Amino acid sequence: MFGYIRPFKPQMKFCEYDAYKAVYCGLCKETGKSFGFLLRFTLSYDFAFVGLISLALGKDGTEITPQRCVAHPLKKTPCLACTGSLHFTAAAATMLVYHKLKDDISDRGFLSKTRAILLLPLIYPAYKKAKRNYPEIAALIEKSMKKQSELEKQNCKSIDLAAEPTAEIISAVAEKISDDEKQKRILKRMGYLLGRYVYIIDALNDAKDDYKKKNYNPFLLREYGFDMEKIRAEALDSINFTLGELANTYSLLDLERFKPILDNIIYLGLQNTFMSVLNEKELSK
Amino acid sequence: MNDPYRVLGVSPNATDEQIRDAYRELSKKYHPDLHSQSPLADLAEEKMKEINAAYDEIMNMRRGGQNSGGYSSYSQYNSQSQYYGDFAEIRRQIQNGNYTVADSMLDNPSVPRNAEWSFLKGSVCYARGWLNEAFTHFTNAVNQDPGNAEYRAAYNRMMQARNGNMNGSPYRYYGSPGGCSTCDMCQGLICADCCCECFGGDLISCC
Repeated sequence: MFGYIRPFKPQMKFCEYDAYKAVYCGLCKETGKSFGFLLRFTLSYDFAFVGLISLALGKDGTEITPQRCVAHPLKKTPCLACTGSLHFTAAAATMLVYHKLKDDISDRGFLSKTRAILLLPLIYPAYKKAKRNYPEIAALIEKSMKKQSELEKQNCKSIDLAAEPTAEIISAVAEKISDDEKQKRILKRMGYLLGRYVYIIDALNDAKDDYKKKNYNPFLLREYGFDMEKIRAEALDSINFTLGELANTYSLLDLERFKPILDNIIYLGLQNTFMSVLNEKELSK
Repeated sequence: MNDPYRVLGVSPNATDEQIRDAYRELSKKYHPDLHSQSPLADLAEEKMKEINAAYDEIMNMRRGGQNSGGYSSYSQYNSQSQYYGDFAEIRRQIQNGNYTVADSMLDNPSVPRNAEWSFLKGSVCYARGWLNEAFTHFTNAVNQDPGNAEYRAAYNRMMQARNGNMNGSPYRYYGSPGGCSTCDMCQGLICADCCCECFGGDLISCC
């Protein structure tokens, strides 16, 4: 999707980084197996995180073995065995990529528009398959995308409301990860807050561009007009409120494994990524 | 019941001191003040009961059945009760998770727009995840009634988040990814100066 939910590598142990990479690898393979080769190139850190949480809550499905793959054809790399534990994550990623491309057609520049028009028909069969597997999630994403474009048409000023459709999508995806009623409730709120985080950081990232192209952006509709300093300050507050409540919610989750990696992403990665965007540093790929 | 040592995340060989520290750390994490406006407040309360029970059990075992006492104080926490009028019903709706109902009751023009109104409006927003709006309402509540502890707690929690605090972070002691701030450096220098002065030396001659 956007790639904002990522770990802060300097504070990671080697073994944690290896496990993280193995999950990413496993998700890539699962996506290829279930939804086709092309979708493998659309994966992002965000869904590695979703995969990580779904494995962290479960009791099994974390067998890591050295495997060969397209990205590393010569050397075998540690990779999670494809046992279907990441099937839902791969499907959710596929559905969101499809909608992001559809969105690109309507309001982005010439290059991404052309790219989207070319890619969309190729990705459509995979989207249809994912939709067939998880129709209620597909329906919710469609509904939220509609809500988003309506809010944009109405020039919604409220950051809370503008962030809601994205928040609801991630919330629905996160809730589906677990079968346990208690964990579902926690994941639902965590997903909401993560989606809110992603929306706000993306809106800040695009603010200057949207100003030039006269696109919708809630940060451009403030009473103080276009003032990057004030926009940054407001984005910082909004993000900090979100992360504060995210930490409260995350602390209630019962994790079976991967806690240090998830701690790293929640407590360091999110703040660090936001700070990079705030200071207009380039994010690594 | 679960293994009480596992609940507190300590080894069965841990000293009393270590167990007390682990207990304190966890009770900060699940403290009702941090979760009271969240729709998950009941789960935090459950966790709190679990760690209280685990702590009591370990201490009872270690003292041969004596009552440990002292550290169960958090479990008795209760937000101020004794509400009356419309607000009592609105609070009940919020507690049951009926945010739409609570919100439309709050929007009724006959309800007085006082501090409690701001607080409850903020609580509904907070539960829905509309945190920016929640903060505006909590700020109003505190300004309208600065002496109220309940409003103050909600406001303070958001202020802490606004300053970048994240509950339960194991990285607190390493500092943020940004490293050591100017403020930290000055503080460090002043501390070092005080230490030097204690031993008759001096690091910063002007103070």
